[in-house]
Amino acid sequence: MLHRTAKHRIQSHARLGLAVGLCLVATVCLVAGEKPLKPVATETVVTKTGDTKPVTKDATAKPKGGLEIYRQECASCHGLAGEGTTNYYPHLLVGDRSQGQLAAFIASSMPDDAPGTCTGEDAKTVSAYIYDAFYSKEARVRNKPARVELSRLTVNQYVNCVADLAVGFPAVKINFGRRIQDDGGPRQAEHKHGLHARYLTKTRVKDRVNDGGSEERVDATVDFDFGSDSPIPGKIVPDEYTIRWRGSLFAPETGDYDIILDTSNGARLFVNEMQRPFIDAGVRSGSRSQRRESIRLLGGRWYPLRIEFNKGKKEKGQIALKWKPPQRADEVIPARCLSTDDSPEVFVLQTPFPPDDRSTGYERGTSISKAWEQAATDAAIEVAGYVTTHYRQLPGLADEKLGRDSKTREFCGNFVRQAFRRPLTDREKEVYIEHRFTTSPDLDTAVRRVVMMTLKSPRFLYIEPRGDSFDAAARLSLALWDSVPDRLLQEAAAAGRLVTRDQIEKQCRRMLNDPRTKAKLHLFFLQWLKVETAPDLTKDPTAFQAFDASMAADLRTSLELFVDDVAWSDSSDFRQLILADYTYMNGRLAGYYQQTLSGGTQQSRSEFQKVTFEPQERAGILSHPYLMAAFAHSAATSPIHRGVFIARGVLGLALRPPPMAIAPLSPDLQPSLTTRQRVELQTQPDACQSCHATINPLGFALEKFDASGRLRKEEKGHTINATGSYVTRDGSKVKFTGAHDLARFLAESGEVHEAFVEQLFQYIVKEPVRAYGRQALAKLTHSFAEKQYNMNELIIEIAAMAAK
Amino acid sequence: MPHHTTRREVLRKLGLGAAALPFIWNLPSLGFAGQQTRKKRLVIMFSPNGVVPPAFWPDAEGPLTEFKKSLEPLEPFRKQTLIAHGICDKVRGDGDNHMRGIGCLLTGVELLPGNIQGGSHTPAGWANGISIDQEIANHLQKNESTRTRFGSLEFGVLVPNRADTWTRMVYAAANKPLAPISNPYQMFNRLYGQIKDRESLRSVMDDLQDEIRTLSLHVSAEDKQLLVEHATFVRQMEQELRTADAAPTHAVPQIEQGVKEDNDEMPRITKLQIELMVNAFRGDFARVATLQLTNSVGQARMRWLDIHESHHELSHNPDSDKTSMEKLTRINRWYCEQLAYLAKKLAETPEPGGGGSLLDNTTIVWTNELGKGSSHTLDDIPFVMVGGGLDFKMGRSLRMKGVPHNRLLLSLAHAMGHDIKSFGNPDYCGAGALSGLT
Repeated sequence: MLHRTAKHRIQSHARLGLAVGLCLVATVCLVAGEKPLKPVATETVVTKTGDTKPVTKDATAKPKGGLEIYRQECASCHGLAGEGTTNYYPHLLVGDRSQGQLAAFIASSMPDDAPGTCTGEDAKTVSAYIYDAFYSKEARVRNKPARVELSRLTVNQYVNCVADLAVGFPAVKINFGRRIQDDGGPRQAEHKHGLHARYLTKTRVKDRVNDGGSEERVDATVDFDFGSDSPIPGKIVPDEYTIRWRGSLFAPETGDYDIILDTSNGARLFVNEMQRPFIDAGVRSGSRSQRRESIRLLGGRWYPLRIEFNKGKKEKGQIALKWKPPQRADEVIPARCLSTDDSPEVFVLQTPFPPDDRSTGYERGTSISKAWEQAATDAAIEVAGYVTTHYRQLPGLADEKLGRDSKTREFCGNFVRQAFRRPLTDREKEVYIEHRFTTSPDLDTAVRRVVMMTLKSPRFLYIEPRGDSFDAAARLSLALWDSVPDRLLQEAAAAGRLVTRDQIEKQCRRMLNDPRTKAKLHLFFLQWLKVETAPDLTKDPTAFQAFDASMAADLRTSLELFVDDVAWSDSSDFRQLILADYTYMNGRLAGYYQQTLSGGTQQSRSEFQKVTFEPQERAGILSHPYLMAAFAHSAATSPIHRGVFIARGVLGLALRPPPMAIAPLSPDLQPSLTTRQRVELQTQPDACQSCHATINPLGFALEKFDASGRLRKEEKGHTINATGSYVTRDGSKVKFTGAHDLARFLAESGEVHEAFVEQLFQYIVKEPVRAYGRQALAKLTHSFAEKQYNMNELIIEIAAMAAK
Repeated sequence: MPHHTTRREVLRKLGLGAAALPFIWNLPSLGFAGQQTRKKRLVIMFSPNGVVPPAFWPDAEGPLTEFKKSLEPLEPFRKQTLIAHGICDKVRGDGDNHMRGIGCLLTGVELLPGNIQGGSHTPAGWANGISIDQEIANHLQKNESTRTRFGSLEFGVLVPNRADTWTRMVYAAANKPLAPISNPYQMFNRLYGQIKDRESLRSVMDDLQDEIRTLSLHVSAEDKQLLVEHATFVRQMEQELRTADAAPTHAVPQIEQGVKEDNDEMPRITKLQIELMVNAFRGDFARVATLQLTNSVGQARMRWLDIHESHHELSHNPDSDKTSMEKLTRINRWYCEQLAYLAKKLAETPEPGGGGSLLDNTTIVWTNELGKGSSHTLDDIPFVMVGGGLDFKMGRSLRMKGVPHNRLLLSLAHAMGHDIKSFGNPDYCGAGALSGLT
């Protein structure tokens, strides 16, 4: 009995949270016209995901809420949480009726012993409560205890896994006759940003072309207009010359990139595949040409790149290598995305998959559809085709070599083992390899079938919780890279060196520096800051004349450089994301935001550099012009959008969506009001205040930044009022004025830290954090604080927790 | 890496996503589009470096009674052959005659200025327009009754692996040359890759379903649901594969394996490409095809004919050099044999779903970038047509009076049901399509 009571206390606690949430909606839908209520305190309640969250709570009690009616009228038969009672209704109170249908049913048929006594508003109120608390499908999912579910690879994981499986050929890693370090990619300390360039004079003696003087150097970017002059006076003769650039190209995020070769001469560009030009403009045809080709690149990886450029007689030398990253504007490929080092070819899957479920805020592979199954099949065929045409580059697998058959089987064994992330059983060896070889007409077909079957196998597609070292290795690599374990991880697992916390942590530290980890964290920031979907940054051209698409693209670059800079600095201090007094700008941005760059005429400077602000003026991401512009209308600011981002994204509050779509009041209708006054006016009704009392004062603190993110002192002749406030989880009210003040509060707030930890955990592990124990979140948040909010350390903690 | 490229090309060219792949799998329904109307096909075959006129052109206009040495292999198809003398490539502008010869041959338009320097004249770039085969294929693809899986297929034989004005005959648009596929195995994969994949997929299906069942035994009841759903989709796919296999289509041809892209293998490669083309027509994968044997300034050394000089080298020798003329005649005769082999294969293959043979509904146009190698003339470009696809009046020798070849290109379009008023440079289309072909 005692046990039961305790259980019910937890459940009723949960219901209270839901009931409060419900009230917000109910106030609008059912009891509109009631007197305004002021939220005066917050209470910690269990929310959707079952974790503790502060929710504003109405202080004044309402006449008969849904919970109250339920307890009085229904609980005696249905149990306090719809669990049923042995004697009267021994079933769960769950079903598929809509809320309206449920209300109608209650009004006509309930309670069983006195139908017709719970009608009208009462029926509506209690049905709303029942529906939301435990009846509906959503409620049932929400109430389910968290556990680590069997899940399949997400699309991103699938694509990365096959990319890493398909480069498992050592021979493919030889480029330009130079071997690349074992785990691929140009990560040697000595690599330089930019491309290695070799300039070569051509001289002709009686139609015979001879090589004249040559010169080697590193070019930071490829963007030259030599005209009729020599590219390197004194070394290269201007008449006829060739230039060969080579190195690697880095894709910061996954997506379709346009690569643009702009030249007045003959040039060929090779990207990723070195055997075949990606853009063949070797034949100049017509005058200057801009050839543009689209290529899909996976984020966090380096791709081999080469340009062959020929300047002929009577031509003017000109070439530029540009790109258009996903959702950006054209730009010269910046030096930071180029390296003088060589890289191996990357297999980039072309088959499109349907997107993963993200309804819980992060991608999860917990559902299967026919479209997904079809895509997985097409992808398996695609990978099989690639492997079949490349595997013979492996030593011993070329034509007519002795023992090719057994070497091919060995290759297949490694492929399957790597894909399954564990050693193969005898039965698996028989089914996946031997049987394919004995039933296929030739070796190529056998390899094709092995790959197809492996990639369609549940052993590859599903992440099975097994709890051994191989499982730990797989979970680590999926957490940090979204991919299969590399050789070192596999070896550690096989040798039993992936058991203790220290051993796991050691691997984490090694893996952290891989560009794939960086790309993964990069994408987290983009999701967290709501940038990844590329919000419309178009601004009113009369109010913000210079703010165009290139400016918006530059701002995004600026934001990304800033977050990456903080994340991968030595201290990797989360608080600096919010507090920092600097960002990155190029000439265009500096001109618009009135900052000074070091060195040179600043408008023309395309490369980004660190810009430090006046103290108190701006603060980290909070006032970053990209976010200020994104969370704003085209001409006016939007304290609501800014406030919602801080409330949800930074403070982790579970705000309900607004009960109805409401267009903001037009500034034209209230010409004398400031934005702050208009927002206050429109959100004055009680129905709005329950959320907006939290949202607005957070957003108001950023009113000193106009809709394009520029600092402003006044609006419509009024001095900007940037005062704001927030009622913390423990009920105390914090006041602040301006971005810097707000930032200082947020950077030190335990609520903010916990929200960040939880979001990062779910993003990395793709499971709810409470599936790793009731105390998991608290433990991680505690260690986050202990380690001075070091995000790198937090990632290690998270990955290690997922692996244990 | 041909296959890798094919993957990207095929996916992109067809605009394919996951949803579209099963569409390809259902080759038959797509492959046999529009069986109710007669299928008309056009093949353009190219060989380089001009001809030896006295050993090529019939002496007189009128019914074809006999062939000169170069054209003797066409004897079995005399009644289905039309030889048109006096058609000239009038397009001038940048580029030497070899470049303009191939670049303007099917486009009828000038080359753009560029950086490719030939042996004489000014340098040039790519042609400034689409080629007639692509123009016709685009037209056929627009109409559901003539639409096919590929629209057109571009076959090559030993076309050098470099993209320049001399190696490209087909253009998708101005400045957009299309590379022919010279590797028969790459072509085979393009045509039949999916059918092979389907076979492979089917071969692993049973074991895969076992694997899902095995895994289901080891997971909790809640997790099992996901696997049950997965298994259902896998089963559906297996059923779909079965249906696709049962649908009528022509068998995947067995082709000779291990032929290398090498000068001495030219006869075998050509044979393979011709066989693949005929099979593609049988499956109605395309109604337009080009077969480009080497390239403008082609350097084939026909050692199998005991000719050890390269074709282009020989073609520069003067008419007085009888030995060279004899060798060049044999070289052209060999090319003609390939034409005859293609005609023979088409004639032997019954038209699927219709009367007669494939040859009755296909016209092969054999042409060249020059009239004569030693003079580099663009006058009297060889145009030898075989087969009944265009409904021209065959079995004749025609003598025209220096008409621009644009007018012949117009005739080809009209005969394929595409009534364009001009093609390429309109200055050379004055009097419209050629009269006297039908």
